[in-house]
Amino acid sequence: MTNGTAAGWTGVLLRVDLTARQCWREELPEELRHAYLGGRGLGVRLMRDYYRLAPFDPDTPLIFAVGPLCGTPAPTAARLAVVSRSPLTGTIYDCSAGGRFAWRLKAAGFDTLVVTGQSTVPLALAITPTGAELVAVPALWGKTVPETVAALAARGSVAAIGPAGENGVLFANIMMGEGNSVGRGGLGAVMGKKGLKAIVVDGDRETLIADRERFDHARSDVMRLFRASPVIFGELGIAEYGTPALVDLMRQRRMAPTANFRRTVFEQSDNYSGPAIRRAYQAKKDGCYGCPIQCKKSTPQGEHLPEYETVSHFGALNGIADLAAIVKSNTLCNRLGMDTISAAVTLAAWGEARGAFPRAEEVPPLLEEIAWRHGAGELLAEGSSRVAAAMGRPELAMGVKGLELPAYDPRGAYGMALAYCTSNRGGCHLRAYPISHEILRKPIATDRFSFSGKARIIAIAEDTNAAVDSLVACKFSFFGATLEEYGELLSAATGIDYPPQQLKEIGRRIYLTERFYNCANGFASRDDYLPERFYCEGGSSGEGIEIPPIDRARFTEELQKYYRIRGLTPDGTFADPDFLATQP
Amino acid sequence: MYDQIAQYTNKLIADRAVLTGEIAFAAQDDAVLTAGEPALAELAGAVLARLSCLALAVARPALPFADLLVARAPVGESCIVPRDTETRTFLHDIPFVRRAELGDEPAALIARLLGNRKGVIVEGVGIVASGTLTVEQAYINYSSIFHSTFVKYLEDVLQEGFRLPGETDVFSVFRRDWLRPLTAAGLDFRAGPLTDHDEILAEITAVGRYTVERGLVDSFFGNISYRAGEVVYISQTAASLDALAGCIDPVAMDNSSTCGITASSELLAHRRIYELSGARAILHGHPKFAVVMSMQCEEAGCPVRDCWKECPSVRFLGDTPVVAGEIGAGGLAKRVPPVIVGPRKAIVYGHGVFTVGEADFAEAFRALVEVENWCRNEYFRRVDERWRENR
Ligand code: SF4
Ligand SMILES: [Zn+2]
Ligand SMILES: [Zn+2]
Repeated sequence: MTNGTAAGWTGVLLRVDLTARQCWREELPEELRHAYLGGRGLGVRLMRDYYRLAPFDPDTPLIFAVGPLCGTPAPTAARLAVVSRSPLTGTIYDCSAGGRFAWRLKAAGFDTLVVTGQSTVPLALAITPTGAELVAVPALWGKTVPETVAALAARGSVAAIGPAGENGVLFANIMMGEGNSVGRGGLGAVMGKKGLKAIVVDGDRETLIADRERFDHARSDVMRLFRASPVIFGELGIAEYGTPALVDLMRQRRMAPTANFRRTVFEQSDNYSGPAIRRAYQAKKDGCYGCPIQCKKSTPQGEHLPEYETVSHFGALNGIADLAAIVKSNTLCNRLGMDTISAAVTLAAWGEARGAFPRAEEVPPLLEEIAWRHGAGELLAEGSSRVAAAMGRPELAMGVKGLELPAYDPRGAYGMALAYCTSNRGGCHLRAYPISHEILRKPIATDRFSFSGKARIIAIAEDTNAAVDSLVACKFSFFGATLEEYGELLSAATGIDYPPQQLKEIGRRIYLTERFYNCANGFASRDDYLPERFYCEGGSSGEGIEIPPIDRARFTEELQKYYRIRGLTPDGTFADPDFLATQP
Repeated sequence: MYDQIAQYTNKLIADRAVLTGEIAFAAQDDAVLTAGEPALAELAGAVLARLSCLALAVARPALPFADLLVARAPVGESCIVPRDTETRTFLHDIPFVRRAELGDEPAALIARLLGNRKGVIVEGVGIVASGTLTVEQAYINYSSIFHSTFVKYLEDVLQEGFRLPGETDVFSVFRRDWLRPLTAAGLDFRAGPLTDHDEILAEITAVGRYTVERGLVDSFFGNISYRAGEVVYISQTAASLDALAGCIDPVAMDNSSTCGITASSELLAHRRIYELSGARAILHGHPKFAVVMSMQCEEAGCPVRDCWKECPSVRFLGDTPVVAGEIGAGGLAKRVPPVIVGPRKAIVYGHGVFTVGEADFAEAFRALVEVENWCRNEYFRRVDERWRENR
């Protein structure tokens, strides 16, 4: 097998140096492709020589990586991962996003794009199969995401930052043209510091599939499992109602974070449930390019409607019951290019510290101020942890490693509690994603109020999902399918056998590499804990469900088990300083 | 985890899926622990230590059908491919290792095969099944393989007759001694219509348990619901029929809430059946003979290849209609409701039986028993008719 003709991968990496204004192609070593697949894994591997650099150091790479399934009809695989170091958390950071951009980058002939350097004038990077070009775009600086996308759309699919990224908001997103976001950790600010306003890519190359018949068989197996999954294609599932289908369920389970996590039930959450959003906005199906699930929803006019975490956090967390205001906040975040979860949690922490949560009508102007770093926005742009510290109330920041917690209260699902803490990018629900089994019963139900077995379960799931993020497929596929079927798709596409067990081992390598980078940058066990609130205050008990505080001693015991399973020291660090040298 | 291992060991024994004394589990937290028959336990531990999963079950099945399937498989084959819906959807195929291939490092070989699939058959040893997240999952995967090898063996015998020395004797013993009469006699059903919330939950839980205790379904397969006004009470997805306490979702008929996102994947089928039939109770399970018989199609020259999902015709087993259609959003919800209205019962190709009760579960349960008994009798009638000279 030779580079450029390999099935699955293109074998080509595009390097862009913004300081020197140069672009060149490099071969992507076969060994790295096989050992890290693509997406998150490959991006994390390519950070090996740079992980100690500060997030805003010009030499810190910003990496866009697709996977071997991108460009094939594998369900939910037209995605990429963006990898760098997060200015919000200081951890290694990756985020997966769908959209035509990922597919076109692959179709332009590249598995990976690595951007380094810094430009003093705003630039746009234009990529085609014949090469890449850097264009000065001073007139686009200051423009919103939709304005930027519109200005560049004629040249292909766009990934852009908005004012939030330009102004270094620590939770600024990179936005894909169709509204998909590279969210949470502030990679939009990394892009902004580099002076890169947008990337536009076009291409028409096909991704080769080694064994078409095997591939089609695996694809139909995946589709059967999607149809058999109530969460995916069920009448009340995410294809019908989008992720806000979870609003009612989280209310019923009494784990909807309310009033900055002081309570766990918000009586008016009915206002923004899946059915409520459908009624109010005649919501229609929408979603990532090439995805059969189409879990995102939009209005008939094409305005994107918010996800579960967004409605819940602009809603319950800030005590806001007004659906229109929530939808408006979501739209504004998308236009300005910033993360809805971190923005809402930051507002809630600030609200609790000053003694009043923002009212519905106050939120949109505050979001503008954040993106432009005006007024209160100058502080709020720093994220919940720095805001709470600056206000003398550090305990009010509801995050782990500085990443704001999403809308699953950890007192209502102990696996989730542990997973927030062991996640390498900080308080994120999507790493081990135990909500899948603790709440949604997929692939099997586990007891949400028990820590028993959870350390092992979380470790296995982190490995599995690291592989999924490297394929790159969408987590939601795994409410139905498993690595068994995705391993088949991958084997058929690449012509190389990838049994599920091997994919989990690849996932483990990726996970440990990330953890190693973090430890080298000073992270240790003390960073693997939830905010104190969760260990000493209960949630909202009632309706026969008790939500006590989490038992800190039991939590610690399970965390220690987790370290042993991972082969780490009791401080959560590496005994072997040469760990990386033992990896491909 | 020892308590869970004990629980699922007992369940497999109660299900009559294993030979007592020939069962072991391994599970790992920060260390691997094992329990059960020492040699099997050692094997389980050695296999599990090589896998990223939480639990493993190794046991010799109560019937030698898995071994017989392996012995009957042509030289060069390395897996069996059952055609029933559950197996096709969730297991795909079941790899096996022949006794002669086991070698000196059986654990490594078994682990390698399990790295690909949820369970494997090891000739002369039994069924080895993994559970990625829980001990229960290893139990379910074991159960699923026991079920699918049972169904596949019966199907093969009907199609191909007996091939191995001693096979007819094994089959006779199974028919004469292992199978027990199926009956609803002696069971207590609450008379409907039921209106009280707690009473409905209690009745669903009790009836679910009956289906397993009476040997109609293995514990993981099926779902059950009751309609009271505009609410359908339905068992949750991935719930065991004999352990439904706390696993029943009340779902509004008008979709005003999405709490029922955890309900059984057959929610839509249940709803349409209620709308069309006016019934109040629905019972759905996968009794083995009904599954086997549903796949016996005698249509000569039929162009349909994917019968289980695409067969457009309604066939009959006795007076019970049989239709095709896949789980969940796969068509079963469209095809079952129209045919179930008159006869109050229906079979889904390769999948199982739906029955309804006008006011309560007594009628639905009796119908389920009758369908399975009819299929069982018909199965043996056809075996006798076709293969008498062999017996
Ligand atoms: S399931 Fe939703 S988020 Fe995932 S790829 Fe499909 S549309 Fe995108
Ligand atoms: Zn079924
Ligand atoms: Zn047919």
